[in-house]
Amino acid sequence: MDMNPSLNDKLKTRIKDITLFYNERGRMPTFSETGQLTGLRSKNAVSKLINVLQKLGVLDKDKTGRLIPKSIANPVRILGTVEAGFPIPAEEELADTISLDKLLIENPTATFMLKVSGDSMSDAGILPGDMVIVDKGQDPKNSDIVIAEVDGKWTMKYLKKRGDSITLVPANPKYKPIRPKNELKIAGVVTAVVRKYR
Amino acid sequence: MNPLTIRSWPKAILHMDADAFFASCEQAINPKLKSRPVVTGRERGIVAAASYEAKARGIKRGMRTFEVKRICPDAVILPSDYETYSLFSVRMFEILRRFSPDVEEYSIDEAFADLTGLRQVHHGPYELIAGKIQDTIRKELGITVSIGVSLSKVLAKIGSKHKKPAGLVMIPGRDIHLYLNNLSVADVWGIGPNTAAYLFKLGIRTALEFAGKDEGFIRKHFHKPHMEIWHEMNGRSIYPVVTGSKDNYQSISKAKTFTPPSSNETFVYAQLSKNLENACIKARRHRLAAIKLIIFLKEQDFRSRGVEIKLNSPTSYPADMFSVLREGFNHIYNKDRLYRQTGVVLAGLVPDNMVQMTLFDDPVRIEKMSKIYCAVDEISERYGKHAIQHASSLPTKLQAQHEGERGDVPRRKTELFNGENTRQRVGLPVLNIKI
Repeated sequence: MDMNPSLNDKLKTRIKDITLFYNERGRMPTFSETGQLTGLRSKNAVSKLINVLQKLGVLDKDKTGRLIPKSIANPVRILGTVEAGFPIPAEEELADTISLDKLLIENPTATFMLKVSGDSMSDAGILPGDMVIVDKGQDPKNSDIVIAEVDGKWTMKYLKKRGDSITLVPANPKYKPIRPKNELKIAGVVTAVVRKYR
Repeated sequence: MNPLTIRSWPKAILHMDADAFFASCEQAINPKLKSRPVVTGRERGIVAAASYEAKARGIKRGMRTFEVKRICPDAVILPSDYETYSLFSVRMFEILRRFSPDVEEYSIDEAFADLTGLRQVHHGPYELIAGKIQDTIRKELGITVSIGVSLSKVLAKIGSKHKKPAGLVMIPGRDIHLYLNNLSVADVWGIGPNTAAYLFKLGIRTALEFAGKDEGFIRKHFHKPHMEIWHEMNGRSIYPVVTGSKDNYQSISKAKTFTPPSSNETFVYAQLSKNLENACIKARRHRLAAIKLIIFLKEQDFRSRGVEIKLNSPTSYPADMFSVLREGFNHIYNKDRLYRQTGVVLAGLVPDNMVQMTLFDDPVRIEKMSKIYCAVDEISERYGKHAIQHASSLPTKLQAQHEGERGDVPRRKTELFNGENTRQRVGLPVLNIKI
């Protein structure tokens, strides 16, 4: 899992500052001192930081809420904990995740599914029985995989445009590229393939 | 002929009506059916929708399917796939909302939208906005819709009906009279057969004759509802576009037809029990409780008998209603008759948090009920509707809902993807193309 490096660095600096304070004064800083040390102005932000450090085992609170050192008393271990890089699931980090639905479906009102029966796109990794996601809202571009009606027959192929000429190219040597003679209608662009094993 | 009003667009109300909706959805997911006569409703043996190609061959809604085969042997008769139609319906409304935030979902295939003031946002006249809506729906969904835009809902509806399919009719204030002149007053939205007959007696035949009457005349002969229609026809908008989801139901009804008809008491009662469960599920989803229960049985010859029951206190739990359901059923059921449909209506709906406990209610029992049905709803959400149901509904399985002819179940319910089951499927329409 990747960690946000800037956040991690910031956290490291803060732990370092608190450690320095502890080593110099021989006691843990108060809440307001922690605020000053770390440049956090609101009490809420300080309390959040303390909670994070508590979870990391860097420090702890006693019954009256005063800070007591934990791994801070042993600087080697602090670095070890942080470097192991065990990321805490911060809310801000998770806010930037998307569901599989969102990843696979760009235009929800224009997206359809289609069960593949043929093997003409097998080298593109699309096999019989697979489910492809088809977007009718996007304009087909060169090299897109498209669902198209060519001279009355439906097919799924790569769309290759060169100048004015259009060719539909399969991804399987068993099949030949198709050049539309009279008519080409593109029903949609294949944006994903889904295969579920169990 | 003088214009009824000279103001062009004091308001711009759009009415959208999908063309032969169910049949169009089938043609959209199966391009081979395009330009062919397509009919839905196979499972009931009655035409629910007919494509324009089918209509051109004389097929009408409500016709029996054996008759369809007789007059149009090449017609494609499909079972209804309400799941797919609902997906299309939701998408249509979503597309409308891209153009205006004020959208009223009027039925599965009809909607109103208030476009007033949106010309600046879309950089063009109302006609351009309406055209873009049609184009987007055609491109993304592959179906056509007819649109009318005018100063009020009643006039917008006249517009969308004026030129079908794929019509786009603008009726600005100064043109209203042109559209009302050739329209029978009986064809105006909100004017029923009785009112039409009364209007005929007053010598009013066209919509324009009605709209042109002065207020004194209208006041003398009509009450508020028709007075409102009269205003709307004159371009004075009375009915607002009601946005937001439909949470303020007047009543919830659930009915189901089964073929062949049955006189089996256990089976018919089970159907009714399932109707009640379904209606209650919907009521709970909208956090409503009913004070009145109406039940009806429809016979083979379409005669129906019903009974209305007043409940002791508002509820949305079937268990509270089974005893009166049975009582009502015994009252109207006749073992010598053949029934083809059962139904229940929950009426007198109130928000379920406003239900007052009476002196005779047992709070412990109510709490228990609420817990049980909470669990039922949670299980249903996870495993599908009716994953858990009352035993009284089980005998619905004594007979298939409809004669088990092949092809009576929509393709979507039989051709499943790995991980789907008959109860729950992925919420995307499936294209029926062999590639």
